[in-house]
Amino acid sequence: MNIQTAIKMTAAETALVDAYTAQIGDLIGDGAVLSARDTLVDDLKKQGLPTRRVEAWHYTDLRALLRTVPVADPTAFAERVEPLVAGSSVMTVLNGKADDKTAPVGVNVRRYAESLADGVAAPDLIERGSDDAIGRINGSFVRDGFEIELPEGTELEVPLELQLVQSLGQSHTRFPVTFGAGTKATIIERHLSVSDEASLVTSVTDLILDEGADITWIILQQQGAADSHLAQINFDLGTNAQLKLFVINAGGKLVRQEIHGVVTGEGADFKLRGINLLGGETHTDVTFTLGHDVPNTTSTEVIRNVLFDRAKGVFQGQIRVAPDAQKTDAKMACNTLLLSDDADFSAKPELEIFADDVQCGHGATVIDINPTHLYYLQARGIPENKARAMLVNAFVDEIVEELENEALIETLETIIADWLEKHA
Amino acid sequence: MAAVQETIDQVALIDVDQYKYGFETTIEMDKAPKGLSEDIIRFISAKKQEPEWMLEWRLDAYERWLTMQEPDWARVDYPKIDFNDIYFYAAPKSTPGPTSIDDVDPELLKVYEKLGIPLREQEILAGVKTSKIAVDAVFDSVSVVTTFKEELKKAGVIFMSISEAVREHPDLVRKYLGSVVPPTDNYYATLNCAVFTDGSFVYIPKGVRCPMELSTYFRINEKGTGQFERTLIIAEEGAYVSYLEGCTAPQRDENQLHAAVVELVALDDAEIKYSTVQNWYPGDKNGKGGIYNFVTKRGDCRGNRSKISWTQVETGSAITWKYPSCILRGDDSRGEFYSIAVSNGYQQIDSGTKMIHLGKNTSSRIVSKGIAAGFSQNTYRGQVSTHRKASNARNFTQCDSLLIGDKCGAHTVPYIEAKNSTAQFEHEATTSKISEDQLFYCLQRGIPTEAAIALIVNGFVKEVIQELPMEFAVEAQKLIGISLEGSVG
Repeated sequence: MNIQTAIKMTAAETALVDAYTAQIGDLIGDGAVLSARDTLVDDLKKQGLPTRRVEAWHYTDLRALLRTVPVADPTAFAERVEPLVAGSSVMTVLNGKADDKTAPVGVNVRRYAESLADGVAAPDLIERGSDDAIGRINGSFVRDGFEIELPEGTELEVPLELQLVQSLGQSHTRFPVTFGAGTKATIIERHLSVSDEASLVTSVTDLILDEGADITWIILQQQGAADSHLAQINFDLGTNAQLKLFVINAGGKLVRQEIHGVVTGEGADFKLRGINLLGGETHTDVTFTLGHDVPNTTSTEVIRNVLFDRAKGVFQGQIRVAPDAQKTDAKMACNTLLLSDDADFSAKPELEIFADDVQCGHGATVIDINPTHLYYLQARGIPENKARAMLVNAFVDEIVEELENEALIETLETIIADWLEKHA
Repeated sequence: MAAVQETIDQVALIDVDQYKYGFETTIEMDKAPKGLSEDIIRFISAKKQEPEWMLEWRLDAYERWLTMQEPDWARVDYPKIDFNDIYFYAAPKSTPGPTSIDDVDPELLKVYEKLGIPLREQEILAGVKTSKIAVDAVFDSVSVVTTFKEELKKAGVIFMSISEAVREHPDLVRKYLGSVVPPTDNYYATLNCAVFTDGSFVYIPKGVRCPMELSTYFRINEKGTGQFERTLIIAEEGAYVSYLEGCTAPQRDENQLHAAVVELVALDDAEIKYSTVQNWYPGDKNGKGGIYNFVTKRGDCRGNRSKISWTQVETGSAITWKYPSCILRGDDSRGEFYSIAVSNGYQQIDSGTKMIHLGKNTSSRIVSKGIAAGFSQNTYRGQVSTHRKASNARNFTQCDSLLIGDKCGAHTVPYIEAKNSTAQFEHEATTSKISEDQLFYCLQRGIPTEAAIALIVNGFVKEVIQELPMEFAVEAQKLIGISLEGSVG
């Protein structure tokens, strides 16, 4: 299914293939790594970028949307910025180059470039499936990132911020992260741009949570208005593990954030909280799949979207319950405020249930601001603009407030308020 | 505790091989050779004494069909269909059109009797003397008898087989045929355009409220014949019609293909209510045989303030691929979709609807109830979309699934597309098994398990049953009973 027959390559496809040929000399890794990369590029040549005929890309026709690919510029300069929360441990990836010198004590960190160099990374460089365009592009070009391991019982007192700063060109990174049994940590994966020039950023993160790990992972994406951001986070939850994943998109021109998870340990709990602040000409797609593979697991997903200008938003969410995964409790909600007639939003919340003793549900709404709420505030002397801003703020802040770290909540609320002020 | 083991056992016990309507009649058939070619299409067209333009239309569709690919996106799994191994035309061999019911082949009447089709007025539900149902019975592919024609004629309503309509009202047919489901629409619709053999044609003139419910019973009979029905219903300005469609088919080992097309056109202030009870042979307990039901149904709310309402009860067919849709083109138009889909045994259902909001102030409502038992797969697939200029579009969708047993699957795949800030879409879906609390509540009050489950399932689908015309509601409840007998009794 979804096989595309012989294609005429688009400018972006040609640019990607050419970039591979151009970079091949200085891409890290030989032998197995190189042959894995070759396979991926071959697939890219054969299949091209996915179109809307590929179901997983139904609302994001990557072939049409990815027009150009900025040329990689190894001399590009970017500097680290202040962390979101003062006192955090910070590890930087500047224009795709990782620096592991600031790894916090007790955490095992290795640059991904080293894993590529000694071939350890080779088995990672595969596609999740024929529609895994992000894995394909990232695997072909990946240069760096971090391999992180929190040994059993490690508890991080302060957040660990993975700071990915981009100025221009390309950056392709990977982050395999293992959380040992009983670990507890807050990790911030922060993507930002420090220039107006276009960049192509791809990033693949793989999380493994062992028994009882309790992890909060925050993705804050603030790429520039010309940037393409293709990211994927995969996770596997062990027995009684808890993962709270916050995804905030507030930038980028073409953004696709994939989240693919499996729950493989009983008693595990997954929470996804998403905020998509979409303005300008952005096309932002959050695609989520979750497999409940064992009995007695729970998950909840809440996605809030706000759209201004000519923004296009997409949410695809799929919950699968395997045949024996009885007592699964899964709930997904996607709420959208569509605040411009030129914006559009598409949602595809899916349930795929093969077990009978389950409670699964999803809800999706698309609305404008409720006029009675607006009237309530205006009747109390609040001007319309301000009243609208308050209501939009409340709509998304609710999500942020579920975080535990007060300082982090405050910073994120400021970022959201600033963004809304700029776009409303 | 997993869904009351007893229930599962009972459902497994009754399962589908107790299909009540699995008999076969031995009326002589007149059929074209197997397979599909231009010659077969010419044969069908000639048999129907169709005008030249109709033949052209069919041949164009056939040419187009040859270039098309079978859709594979639905969650259904079946061996490839060999279109050259199907009879595309089969007609009961009878003397030219019987003039009264007494002329009808007694064998045929017996079939109707077994089906309980209320052909004669007095057979209509006892105590509902005022209600009348006109039946345009389709036996395999040709309309055999049409009742109440005269009374309908008085009201100005045209209700006849589509082949007759092609001959008698060519202008109307030509104007509307293919205007909702174009010949290029999809693989099965295009196939239908090329080979459709019969179906109903309904035309309700301006301002007329059709004096009775119109009803068609479909019946697939001859071994290995595909049924390619074409139904076209037009409601002129201010008209109203309620149309009922019900189906049963005899038991077979081979799979049979059914690719129907239904087109509805509602002009200003018109309303069409289309109800279906589908109970074709679902295959035996090993999943062998059964009907492939690949149907394209679409309604066009072409006029302002028009309304189209689809109600369906799907209990039969091995595979169902069906998405009755509404194009809400007129301002203030409204679309509705109410569905009960019951799957048992190895049945596969991929069904749902599309609500396309194009006009201003349009609204739609979707209520879908899926019940999966045995080894079946039951999928709701729906789309709700607004055009950029369709201000104040409103949709409410609810799709609930009930699972009985742990070997079946229930899936929900909605597509929600909003392109207008004034759109207001609400979508809700749930999947669960029969609530143990509810069951316990009933049991505790001395209601036996079986009756309790029946009560709960009936409650689960009540919202949809209520939308059916009274005559059909009774039959629908009976069919759900047969499909899940033992647990729903």
